[in-house]
Amino acid sequence: MKLKRICKVCLLVLLLLNVTGCWDQKGLDRQVFVIGIGLDKAKENGKINVTYLIANPEVGTSQTGGATDEPALMTVTMRASDFISMRNNANSVVAREISYDLLNVIFVSEELAQEEDFMRFLYTSEKDREIKRDVILAVTKEKVQDFFAKNKPLFLKRPHKYYENMIQRGVEIGIIPKSELHHFFRVTEEDANLFLSIYATAQMPTKENKYRVNENDELAGELKVEGQTNTGQFLGSAVFLEGKMIGTMTGVETRIAMLLHDAIPVRDVLTVFPDPFHENYQLTVRLIQQKKTTVELDLKAKPPRIHVTLPLTIDVLTDPSMENPVENKKKIEEIRRAFEKLMEREAMSLVRSTQEEFKAEPFGWSLHARKEFRTLKEYMDFDWMKTYPDMKVEIDVELRFGKFGRQPKTPSYEGIRD
Amino acid sequence: MKQTEGKIGIREYVAILLLALGTKLTDDTPSLLYGTAKNSAWISMLLIGILTVVPILFLLKVFSVHRNKNLHELNLHLFGKVFGNIVSLGMLAFGFSALVLDSATYVNIISNIYFTKTPPIAIYIIMGIVCGYGAKRGIQHIGSAAWITLSYLKVTLALALFVAFTKGNSKFLFPLWGPGTKEIVKTAASKMSIFADFYFIGIIAPVVNSFKEFKKGTFIAFSFVLVEITIAIIIYVMLFDFTSIEVISYPFHEAILYISIGFLKNVESIFLPFWLIAAFIRFSFYLYMVLVLFGGIFKIKEYEYLVPVMVVLIVFLGTSPQFATYTVPYLREQLLMILSPIFFLLPCFMWLIAKVRGDFKNEVKKDM
Repeated sequence: MKLKRICKVCLLVLLLLNVTGCWDQKGLDRQVFVIGIGLDKAKENGKINVTYLIANPEVGTSQTGGATDEPALMTVTMRASDFISMRNNANSVVAREISYDLLNVIFVSEELAQEEDFMRFLYTSEKDREIKRDVILAVTKEKVQDFFAKNKPLFLKRPHKYYENMIQRGVEIGIIPKSELHHFFRVTEEDANLFLSIYATAQMPTKENKYRVNENDELAGELKVEGQTNTGQFLGSAVFLEGKMIGTMTGVETRIAMLLHDAIPVRDVLTVFPDPFHENYQLTVRLIQQKKTTVELDLKAKPPRIHVTLPLTIDVLTDPSMENPVENKKKIEEIRRAFEKLMEREAMSLVRSTQEEFKAEPFGWSLHARKEFRTLKEYMDFDWMKTYPDMKVEIDVELRFGKFGRQPKTPSYEGIRD
Repeated sequence: MKQTEGKIGIREYVAILLLALGTKLTDDTPSLLYGTAKNSAWISMLLIGILTVVPILFLLKVFSVHRNKNLHELNLHLFGKVFGNIVSLGMLAFGFSALVLDSATYVNIISNIYFTKTPPIAIYIIMGIVCGYGAKRGIQHIGSAAWITLSYLKVTLALALFVAFTKGNSKFLFPLWGPGTKEIVKTAASKMSIFADFYFIGIIAPVVNSFKEFKKGTFIAFSFVLVEITIAIIIYVMLFDFTSIEVISYPFHEAILYISIGFLKNVESIFLPFWLIAAFIRFSFYLYMVLVLFGGIFKIKEYEYLVPVMVVLIVFLGTSPQFATYTVPYLREQLLMILSPIFFLLPCFMWLIAKVRGDFKNEVKKDM
């Protein structure tokens, strides 16, 4: 009986050995964590230049009090066939095992993204166990290698926090799209829609800032920013069709596309519209999407028709013409009419440009169309992508007024100047 | 230690079935449906459910008059000694191949997605030892293990599915009829044997406390599992869309790799251990059933001594196919295809024979 018990205990202790995971045992101190991967075109066919952005785990942790002499990150660029083999290639200079567990974002240079072959390289990520489908895909204007070299974020020293926060905030205010690999694969495989990916650069514009109503109505790299701040800009989106980049959209266009898409929530949008009472000024408004965009389709008509209703609540937050619209129902009506018209015009011009330039849509309307068909075959035969450019699209913006700033009334301009 | 003929209650019985069948939604069973039924796989699943009611009803009817017999004894009784043994042997062959292929699938999942550097045979051996031990302990222990862990496993599963649901888009389910009603029905008919386990549970029928509990438990487990798998299939489509879902081999694992709960990323490490426990219980149960059937056919009373042999055989067969990633799902699909008509017809046939033999009349008389 005693012997039996001893045997059992031995067996249990032996079982403990399994807990280490045997062959897949990994020590935290024996790994380095890649935060971002950059993909650039290589001169040779079938090769790409892969850049690793490796974070130093010791920087900014409470254990060391945030004080180490070592830099917060390092970059490694090498030519590789894909980013799985790169894991071993990089070990010629990196001392530890390379882990993709904390991989946050994959950057691709515009040059490579425009290649037909780009998709072949990106689909590698579906094969690797550690690359999750929630990794963000972003396009840089310059080579990613240069982007990483130039972009030295201030304050947010830990690079994974910087990229995470930068992207999260950008998506919240709707100047960049949320471009997870998951959506990239889905949209690419569905083969009916455009996929929008984050557009970023660390190149500052050299030429003078041109006049624009909304400062966000621009691509990264065109917006002049001065001062000692981060050099990286995340603004606007790269447009992918069938896994290949075919164009760009500005920050404002991206935002409109996201508002028109009913599955993407945009939480915190501040935007400006020309003041209907004074041509020199603009009103700042906050757009809140409280109800979902509704899409009505008439696919039997020739050409097929799409009617989109976009219900928005707006807070008018400034009043530079000092006209005090709050007090006057007529003026409010005027603002509403002016804004609705303006937004419809802007949205329509975006729709038109997708119809003419890209020949596909990023608004997810094809998903609504699916409900109109009984079987997949009928849907495929309809060929959404082919019919979309000829469709008649109508957009109705329905505005409701919310707040008018903390202090709704302003003194009248004439009254003060008197 | 001789296997005592202990009984299990409805609680344990239902728990075993829920775990053994419920884990199906986490392996490649959904993928088998997506291949042909695409985004309407869930309709196929419901159809399968409706179709499965027929053999279950017949089987229960037959068992209602032979309360103390297990499946093998019933076969002997109905088909005679020679044919009965042949039928049981056939069932053993199917059950054993299903066990080998299913366990190979699980080892595949673990070695492809979680422990990429560990040789599959090592995973297989560990699984074999654990499940072999479980099976050796007998149905009572499997039952109580299942009952103890049931709530944890189902809660974590529900959590994973719920989070996946919030990330999904319900419009992916349309067009509602997917590849067309014909394809949906065809898929349902050919993959009906997903629930063939309900035939094999006849093996443990006499172990359940009373026939009433057996009957009730079967129906509870059946409806729960059907709803569970259908919901999971719907959620996978909502998450991945019909084009991607065809490429994905193990949607559940792809889903838990993708989702994050709030600030928690890499949540698959939360779900993995629970899933593993469910898998262990499932295969312990399968192994137990195969052993009982084997012991019954070859008249081996102390079948727990067969455990090591059986485990070695399973590990050996399970690791033998080359290109396991492709051959195992293929073989599994073939097996399901062959098993489907058998699963549907055999219980009806059994009922018919029982009717002809007048077993039911006796029952009625006895009741009176």
